[in-house]
Amino acid sequence: MISNNIKIKTQDLNVYYGEKQALFNVNLDIHSKEVTALIGPSGCGKSTFIRCINRMNDVIDICKIDGSIKIDDKEIIDNNVDVVRLRESIGMVFQKPNPFPKSIYDNISYGPSIHGLADNKSDMDKIVENSLKKAALWEEVKDRLDEPGTGLSGGQQQRLCIARAISVNPEVILMDEPCSALDPIATAKIEELIDELKKSYTIVIVTHSMSQAVRVSQRTGFFHLGKIIEVDTTEKIFKNPGNQMTQDYITGRFG
Amino acid sequence: MSEISHIVKSYEEELQNLNDNLIKMGSLVEKQLSDSMEAIIKVDKEAADNIIKNDAKINELRAIIEEQIVTVLVKRAPMAIDLRLTISTLKISSDLERIGDLAKSVAKKIKPLPHDLPEELIASLRRLGDLVQRQLKDILDAYLKKSKDLAIKIWKTDEKVDDLTHTAMNEVADFLGKDKKNLDLATHLLFVTKNIERAGDHITNIAESLFYLIEGEHIEGARPKGKDFDSNS
Amino acid sequence: MTKEERIKKRYNAEKRFKLYGITSVVLAILFVVFLIHVIFSKGSSAFQKTTINVELNFTLDSLYLDPNPSKDDLENVEYYDLAIESLLKVYQVNGLKEEKALINLFSPDYEYEVRDFLIKNPEFINKKTILKLTASDDIDQLHKGNYPRHLPEDRRRINDFQLMMYDKLVEQNKIDKIFNNYLFQKGDSRNPELAGIGGALVGSFFTIIITLLLSFPIAIFASIYLEEFAPKNRVTDFIEININNLAAVPSIVFGLLGLGILLSTFDLPRSTPLVAGITLALMTLPRIIIPCRASLKAVPPSIREGALAVGASKVQSVMHHVVPLAIPGTLSGTIIGLAQALGETAPLILIGMVAFVVDIPSIPTDPSASLPVQVYLWSEQAERGFVEKTSATIMILLSFLITLNFIAVYLRQKFERKW
Repeated sequence: MISNNIKIKTQDLNVYYGEKQALFNVNLDIHSKEVTALIGPSGCGKSTFIRCINRMNDVIDICKIDGSIKIDDKEIIDNNVDVVRLRESIGMVFQKPNPFPKSIYDNISYGPSIHGLADNKSDMDKIVENSLKKAALWEEVKDRLDEPGTGLSGGQQQRLCIARAISVNPEVILMDEPCSALDPIATAKIEELIDELKKSYTIVIVTHSMSQAVRVSQRTGFFHLGKIIEVDTTEKIFKNPGNQMTQDYITGRFG
Repeated sequence: MSEISHIVKSYEEELQNLNDNLIKMGSLVEKQLSDSMEAIIKVDKEAADNIIKNDAKINELRAIIEEQIVTVLVKRAPMAIDLRLTISTLKISSDLERIGDLAKSVAKKIKPLPHDLPEELIASLRRLGDLVQRQLKDILDAYLKKSKDLAIKIWKTDEKVDDLTHTAMNEVADFLGKDKKNLDLATHLLFVTKNIERAGDHITNIAESLFYLIEGEHIEGARPKGKDFDSNS
Repeated sequence: MTKEERIKKRYNAEKRFKLYGITSVVLAILFVVFLIHVIFSKGSSAFQKTTINVELNFTLDSLYLDPNPSKDDLENVEYYDLAIESLLKVYQVNGLKEEKALINLFSPDYEYEVRDFLIKNPEFINKKTILKLTASDDIDQLHKGNYPRHLPEDRRRINDFQLMMYDKLVEQNKIDKIFNNYLFQKGDSRNPELAGIGGALVGSFFTIIITLLLSFPIAIFASIYLEEFAPKNRVTDFIEININNLAAVPSIVFGLLGLGILLSTFDLPRSTPLVAGITLALMTLPRIIIPCRASLKAVPPSIREGALAVGASKVQSVMHHVVPLAIPGTLSGTIIGLAQALGETAPLILIGMVAFVVDIPSIPTDPSASLPVQVYLWSEQAERGFVEKTSATIMILLSFLITLNFIAVYLRQKFERKW
């Protein structure tokens, strides 16, 4: 189950928001085709961390990054990196489902159309269908692709967002607390989907739910105050963590 | 284990309660075992009846502990140390209950015994009984202190238990060899000896559970084995 | 105080508060109803004008025309004699004084009314017809019941003879009230019966179009840039504060700006919709930028992130997702800004839009009036006829403003409901 191919390697990653340092010398390896869960108290830097991977932090003016993140041995913390290409290969799913206020079809086709992945309408139809199928949403929406994506239920919206991320053939999918706004059944469906997706994609998921981290991930990293405290296999972290702070956090004793 | 307590106080209380009940069960079992050892040496049939009667208390406590553990699992979904604590406590309580059962079956064997047991027959048995009682007391101490070193020490001492058992059994066998009329008595004593040895095995189990609880790993290496009575014959 | 008392007190306070609210709303509604009532009761009559039936006989002789005249001929010949002759037939008068009294029953434009009729309807040459010629301002007011005819003769402009003639003509059914086409067709005039808001309408239209063309694109691009692209630093903070300040600057200051820069420095033509449009565009810009930025800001950041996360560039995420969502708010903001500009008077006075302009402008560089300035101008006139004209203009201006506001509300609700 545990793969040894490192997909993403970060070295001495430091992130600053203005004067405030958000990440301190983060060294973390993310393995290919498995799910890495990032846990830690609010404000510990886990979201900041995954937003570095697809350079989403560039949107914030005061954010400064130094250190190194290598994806397949290619440095991405570099002004010469084309962030548009980078984000094409690194999909992201957010905390709150954020489908575009457009039809279900347009939600999926937007990414492929701006990257020119489809030559004609039937190609695009294929991409839309495949993406929705991979996101386990096709059966539920195939008869109403022209209805607004915002009309779906919360869980369906989140799967639509996952389908949207898949539509541009990414290699990595980043998920920032994807189930925090969903009910348990919708959460279970997303978790099942994540299990399915890890066969083809490298997934990094930030979650506040310890049990979710246990259920979906193969590796878990524990962040605290912008530092990575411990990374290990999920089993190890939740059965017998090596670090006292990790243990105190996951057993609910954090002072 | 952890100096910091849980944010949820009632969780902390539940775990503490569990711990207390296990200790309570442990001391009950300890008493049952020492009573039964004393009863067999004195061939005190009245005490034997009491021991048999008291076993119900242990079983009751065991049921309570089990219930508490299920509750904690459902309510708290314990992780890491808490998870290991609940699982180990479940196993330890089960082992303690077995030790209680063994003490009871030792007590049952007292009734058919004659009042004048030859001293040479009991000497080894008494030493074995003392050792196992000592082991049980130590393991309960170790649990209370969550002491890894003590657990390993107890685990290793099982070898001595096995050796003593071996000696005791040989003595009974010798006694049987002297006179075939002793068959009934010898059989009872062999059972008693075997029971005490198995109580020792359960204590070793507890030591293993305790080690896992503390370290999150299993004790390295094969279980220490003394000369086995059966394999030796 | 017991608990019950306190609760009772609290409920009473609540009731009192509601009462204050209802009172204010009722008062506000009363004021509006009163205002509308006054304007309508004064202004509605301006949509009608009084006419006197005159029988005309367009003989070639009387017009000094050759047979089969061309259109040019019709435009160039003298109509005065025919007109006067026909007027004098309306009532039997003797002597110059009485003739003059009769002619004064009509508007001074009777000659042109006759001419315009014939040019429009050349088939009436050599035929007789009855034409409804516009009555003078005083007769108009008299007929509409606004004239104090019980005053002694020396204190009215209509003398007793004219009153007598009027009564007779009414008896003969020669006086009518018809729709006042002049109100929308004519420009300003010294004679109330001939004054219209045609010039002001066209002038306001040109002004608003220029304001829209200038301010809308500039405001849209400025707000998109400031909201989505500009770095947040002291310069942009400074700009933001200044935009907010500019929106609060009294409009007359913009008038001075127009006067000082557009007219004096750039030498643009005075009293023209062009200058008015530019001035109002300057005034409207911050008022559009503010709602535009607000509606851009209201688009949830998650939409931007969603677009960026599938690999859209910054411009793509803004243009494909943010701007379309902000359009309804943007449009309604723009329309409300334009509505304010439409009603603006003070800056236009400063740039010379108060000039007396009779001709209807055909291009934005023609001198022109505008609706609010027309209201201002007519409200200063002494003639009774201008009072109803003023109110009518206010009615028209208000109806434009209300229409614009309704469009804004409609756009906002329609687009917001859709998704």
